[in-house]
Amino acid sequence: MIAGVAARDRAMSVLSIVGGIALWQLAAGYVPDLILPSPSAVLARFTDPAWLGRLLPALAGSLTQLGIGFALSLAVALPLGIVIGRSTVLMRMFEPVISALYAIPPVAFIPFLIIWFGLFLEARIALVFLMSVFDILVVVIAGARDVRRPLIDVGRSFGASYGQRFRLIVLPAMLPFFFAALRVGSARAINGMITAELFFAAVNLGAVMKRASQNFDSATALSVVLLICLLGLLAQSVINMLEARLLHWHVRT
Amino acid sequence: MERLRTFLLGCSGIALFLAAWEIAGRSFGPALLAPPSIVAVDYIDLLAQGDMLRELAFSLRQMAIGFLLACAIGMPLGVLMGRSRIADAILRPWVSMFVVTSTAALIPLLIMVLGTGLPLRVTIVFLASVWYIVLTTYNGARGISPQQIAAARSFSATRLQIFRKVIMPALYPYLLTGARIGLVHAIRAMVMAEMFVIIGYGGLVHRAGLVVETGPLLGLLMTLMIVSLLFNALLGESGRRLAPWYEQQRVSL
Repeated sequence: MIAGVAARDRAMSVLSIVGGIALWQLAAGYVPDLILPSPSAVLARFTDPAWLGRLLPALAGSLTQLGIGFALSLAVALPLGIVIGRSTVLMRMFEPVISALYAIPPVAFIPFLIIWFGLFLEARIALVFLMSVFDILVVVIAGARDVRRPLIDVGRSFGASYGQRFRLIVLPAMLPFFFAALRVGSARAINGMITAELFFAAVNLGAVMKRASQNFDSATALSVVLLICLLGLLAQSVINMLEARLLHWHVRT
Repeated sequence: MERLRTFLLGCSGIALFLAAWEIAGRSFGPALLAPPSIVAVDYIDLLAQGDMLRELAFSLRQMAIGFLLACAIGMPLGVLMGRSRIADAILRPWVSMFVVTSTAALIPLLIMVLGTGLPLRVTIVFLASVWYIVLTTYNGARGISPQQIAAARSFSATRLQIFRKVIMPALYPYLLTGARIGLVHAIRAMVMAEMFVIIGYGGLVHRAGLVVETGPLLGLLMTLMIVSLLFNALLGESGRRLAPWYEQQRVSL
């Protein structure tokens, strides 16, 4: 019964996507291409080898700064989040500072980043870092605080050392939050990647978009948006898959 | 006693942060990083000149249009998706795709269609906040306990009564959380759009970045931080006033 309902819902979702694209194609016939390019025109971009030849190197360049910035974010936010979250004193000390810094829109730091890092790769990495680090930090702190007291007490009464309690109890208990941090952080980092390419010197995917927009080629611009969107969905599903593999004991609701 | 301790620890954390910033600022010099002592002086200048507050009022008024539109459309949509399986199946794939779409990537595309005027900024603020409002409301509407609805029904409440007396009160905290999360994204989007077309408060931030001194720039960032924290506190407080019975189960996303 329940399986039947789930299958029906899935069929509805697929139908909705197909129907939406059909509606879009239909509507595009009545609207100028500039305002709404048809889905077939957008998809045609991905089969054009000349255009792919420009797009793929751009994508590779974008992914490089995404990877470096996101890795830096994780390297800073994971240890810092665990240290702050595991200590009540540190937590109370730095919570106001973190929420104050978190409240500043990261794009507003761009003029500041230009002063420090210039307009190129370093600046883009810095923006990806800045846009993702606080979101990861907040989730990791919440995770480190969430570890249940009795679990640690049981470990202690079986004579586990501090290191053992940390490795065998705290870290596994935090894993669901670690994946949540990856999900939030990767979405923010991808956002930072394209924001950086549009706001600093236009390069990679940002340059492709800017050129398309100067030529009033909205089909190309939309195809880049679609590519970034797919990149985000791919990152989410890879993280979900890893979570299901590693955390089969934890059912996410 | 406990609250006093938390307060004092928070103050010491802020003091520590300011001290570290002061030391770093003194050693880098105001061209790279103005220390808080200089930012404070520049901040008084900013207030006295009046540009900052005037542009802020201008930008917030325009942001309010996009944000209120997002609430007006996002909240009913979230309730609909949460209460109807069919609407959920049809709309969810689209919402989960739009929520990962980076708003920055849409700017070049939207400029082609809408130009660089008010419609562009309202649309960007709307698109940046509406999906978060939809998803938070959706989670709230889905989580309403079926027992409460069954109980109301067994007392022969009409559908309208159930909606007003059971569903709405259960939704309040989620609506407010949705508005809070949406507002954070709306402020970010406002600054981003304004920095892109160089107008309003974002334009002011952009121009501050062109000056050799970083004091005024950091002062502008401070104001953004204060505005964001203030709105957050205001919405949190109104939540406590409107739905005091939900104090324990404050939701977060």
